[in-house]
Amino acid sequence: MSRLHENAPRRGVRPGRARYLVAAVCLAICVVMLLPLVMSFLASVKPPAEAAATPPTYLPHGLSFDSYRRLWSYQQGLPAYLLNSLGTALLAIAITLVLTVPAGYALARFQIPGKEVIFVVLLVALIVPYQALLTPMFLMFVHLKLTNTLLGLAIVHAVIQLPFSLYILRNSFSGVPRELEEAAVVDGASSWQALLRIFIPSVWPAIVTVALFAFIMSWNEFLGALVMMSRGDRFTLPLILAAARTETSLGGTDWGMLQAGIAISMVPCIAVYLLLQRYYVSGLMSGAVK
Amino acid sequence: MTIRLRWPVLAVATTLLVASCGGGTEAPPAATAGTATTSCASKGPLTMWERSGGNKEMVDLLVAAWNTKNPDCAIKLTYIPHTEMVGKIAQGIASGQVPDLMGMDLIYAPQFEKAQQLVDITPRIQDWTELKTASKGHMTVATYQDKVYGVPLYADVSALFYNKDLFARAGLDPDKPPTSLAELRTYADKITALGGGVHGYYLPGNCAGCNIFTVGPLMWASGAKIEAAGPGDEPLVGEGVKQVLEFTREMVKSGNVAPGARTENGETFHLQFGSGKVGMMGTGNFNITLARQQNAKMKFGISLLPGVTPGSSASFIGGDLVVVPKGSKRVNDSVNFMKFLMSDEVQVEVYAKALNLTTRSDMADNKYFRAEPLVRDVAKALTVGRTPYTFTFFEQINSPQGPWLKMLQRAYYSEDSLDTVIADAKTAMKKIAV
Amino acid sequence: MYRSRRRRLVGFAYLAPALIFVLVFTVYPLGQMVWMSFNNWSLITPPRYVGLDNYRQAFDDHQFWVSFLFTVKYTLIITPILIVGGYLLALLTSSNGPLRRVTRTVVFAPVVIGLGVSSLLWYWLLSPDSGLVNRALTDVGVIDKPVLWLGVNANTSNFAIIASVTWKVIGFGMILFVGAIQAIPTEITEASLVDGASYWQRVTRVIVPLTLRTVLLVTLVSVIGSLLAFDQFYIMTAGQPGNETATSVFYVYLNSFPYLKLGYGAALSILLAVTILALTVVQLLITRRREA
Repeated sequence: MSRLHENAPRRGVRPGRARYLVAAVCLAICVVMLLPLVMSFLASVKPPAEAAATPPTYLPHGLSFDSYRRLWSYQQGLPAYLLNSLGTALLAIAITLVLTVPAGYALARFQIPGKEVIFVVLLVALIVPYQALLTPMFLMFVHLKLTNTLLGLAIVHAVIQLPFSLYILRNSFSGVPRELEEAAVVDGASSWQALLRIFIPSVWPAIVTVALFAFIMSWNEFLGALVMMSRGDRFTLPLILAAARTETSLGGTDWGMLQAGIAISMVPCIAVYLLLQRYYVSGLMSGAVK
Repeated sequence: MTIRLRWPVLAVATTLLVASCGGGTEAPPAATAGTATTSCASKGPLTMWERSGGNKEMVDLLVAAWNTKNPDCAIKLTYIPHTEMVGKIAQGIASGQVPDLMGMDLIYAPQFEKAQQLVDITPRIQDWTELKTASKGHMTVATYQDKVYGVPLYADVSALFYNKDLFARAGLDPDKPPTSLAELRTYADKITALGGGVHGYYLPGNCAGCNIFTVGPLMWASGAKIEAAGPGDEPLVGEGVKQVLEFTREMVKSGNVAPGARTENGETFHLQFGSGKVGMMGTGNFNITLARQQNAKMKFGISLLPGVTPGSSASFIGGDLVVVPKGSKRVNDSVNFMKFLMSDEVQVEVYAKALNLTTRSDMADNKYFRAEPLVRDVAKALTVGRTPYTFTFFEQINSPQGPWLKMLQRAYYSEDSLDTVIADAKTAMKKIAV
Repeated sequence: MYRSRRRRLVGFAYLAPALIFVLVFTVYPLGQMVWMSFNNWSLITPPRYVGLDNYRQAFDDHQFWVSFLFTVKYTLIITPILIVGGYLLALLTSSNGPLRRVTRTVVFAPVVIGLGVSSLLWYWLLSPDSGLVNRALTDVGVIDKPVLWLGVNANTSNFAIIASVTWKVIGFGMILFVGAIQAIPTEITEASLVDGASYWQRVTRVIVPLTLRTVLLVTLVSVIGSLLAFDQFYIMTAGQPGNETATSVFYVYLNSFPYLKLGYGAALSILLAVTILALTVVQLLITRRREA
């Protein structure tokens, strides 16, 4: 089936002027969306005196990495926090995928009794505010010796991401054409081999989407980290950002250091997003349209 | 449910743990576990929590001093965001994952003492002569039913700072600070009239703690009572409450406070006076060094926060205590740290040298303070100072969402009848104290 | 017969890890939360059974209603903005020319940076004296003294936060709508062109109805997300002024952590979850009916 707009020739419905108008609108929107990000980054490279100026300057009058330096050696040192955040995020992705890929496969391609009920139950977790779940989970984790560990926090993050990930994957698995599966069966493949050789390559965009969102969520999550971590050397980046907000320099909040922290938080997310764009776009669009 | 079963088990477990743990020299709290010293009782790093948003510089200096002297049992300090501190401590205690010792904002101590979640150190400190002169405010909240649970970590006291340069420019005598609220108002008007971004006074609009620290004493000095100590206790008693609220409302309406103060949530409160644009302001002793750093040439003086009646004054004794949470495995070392803090040498060479208040009043006469009359002036506030004693301080007063701040914000920025404002706050505070 | 039963077991085996995980780490704590809601518990004192008291207290609790109504108000304002705005952006960028693709990429970028970071960023932009928003507005001449955007007036704060959240999440809806629009077969639109339909007629009569399912889905997700909003309020206003901008989940957090009223916090969570569940069911029923 042909898709709307994709390769349809311009039918001359739009006169040239409207084309320029549309282009201008697009450009304006891009500027508005990018402006906060750009200004934040520029603020992070301002020299300390300028970063603390009131009223603030738009563009930096000088270049200085002082804010980054202060952030680097803040409390236990930025590298420790970056590693904690990264480790937790990777573990969260791993746990989420290990659980939801087979589960999505099962829910989409197998006749399991009561699977609609199960699916709904799994989604119900979406509407319970996880903030109140944190204390019972914390107490449970104490007994499991999972507090102050990256694994424990990753489990919390996986819990939060599970419903959304499962939804995307199940829809994606549903969309794989029956013919492919039947061809594998004819070849004598077991369900496991079918999963590995046929399905996973087909739903790869959805997998990447799930991984991307799990990463973003875990990298930025604050309250769970606050509850689970009580040792300074296990803190994650969001905890340090919150603390950095109370730091002052030269008569005011240390905006420069805060911006440096914001920039460092944003860069991996945006980098991963730009690299994996291809996948997540089709992953989201295919996974959600059902 | 399993939790109900686990709780007694946990309680028994932690008692056993406290009784039997440690490097051999740990004994049950009931016994006098040997004399405390200022060095290590056992080897291995000590874990310590402290709240953010307090006197970080002071705590860092003290910990550094201990670590230099006792590298074998150095303290590893973790700062917890102060709005999360109460929750975090409770979780730590409930799960048995507590640090070896903690710095705790002193007004939260009664709550944890009442719940029996701090180690009773009375037998260990009862013959410490140093404590006889320790800050009354601290020791009051460190005590519950005649048992002592901590010693002062650092002391903050509030006072009225005034800018002598602005006084002179406004035609006021720089050596005669105001002694009553009415005088404060008159002086403020004159200073604001100077113009040029200068204002006579300062009232932080979005910071509960700053206000109990600096506006609370105005009410105390006017004979009022603020907090509800416990269930059934009546809060906000006395004409002084309304009088002070009227005073602050008029201050704001007359333009004596910079409009930006409305969003002050405590993060930049300690930097206001040093800007040189405020004539008078309630703030704490920590502001002496800070103001000098910000504005070396500014001449300023310190006097006591006044009340309605001329000559009346009061102050808020705040700061932190060092306490030992139940379940701590290093009670002996924690107590040694306490002895270290109270020792003559640390009082002078760490506290006084940093121009912070000594937590022992007998150490207030030292070479550093003699060279710095302002610190002597601010130390006078200790004599008229008090610390509130209540089991629900955070929720009643310190919480950004609590009735104290709400009452003040309505007084400062709205036209609501003050009687209603006070009545509403009273109802809310009584409900919390239940 | 044998094969189908075996296949069912195999399927169950694939599902098992996720199921066990959810049972242990979601259902069990959820059960504890329900138990907690029937008790008064401050973590440092033993729990005390109080039956339905916590629920009863919620209905009398002024702050509970303030938070709830504020959350609903926030949701009612931001949802149309996100849906209509996202849809318009999708219409604008649904073809695959290079400029459109770049626009899509740019608009989606804020979605990936995390709500906490975005809130901090806007906290800075909206700062009265150090923020660029006030600086720009003053330079352009719209205002003559700094506006106190956050924490002073509930409506202003609401407006400011809605603006920042819109910036952050509108790309998400946009992408899903683009997917839905692109899934419409060209034959259908071409048919309407032959009928002489104008662009907007095409949009309202053809494109929107055919993408309705996605629109309703995105609306549902957006509503749930807004009713559960917390981070942005925690960071940008801390519930100020006087708890007027404390959303329902914010109030749950307050009770669960600083106030140490865990039982009450749990009861509030459950009330909130039940409310959202009811709303979801209603929305789904409406969807079903519309599709029939």
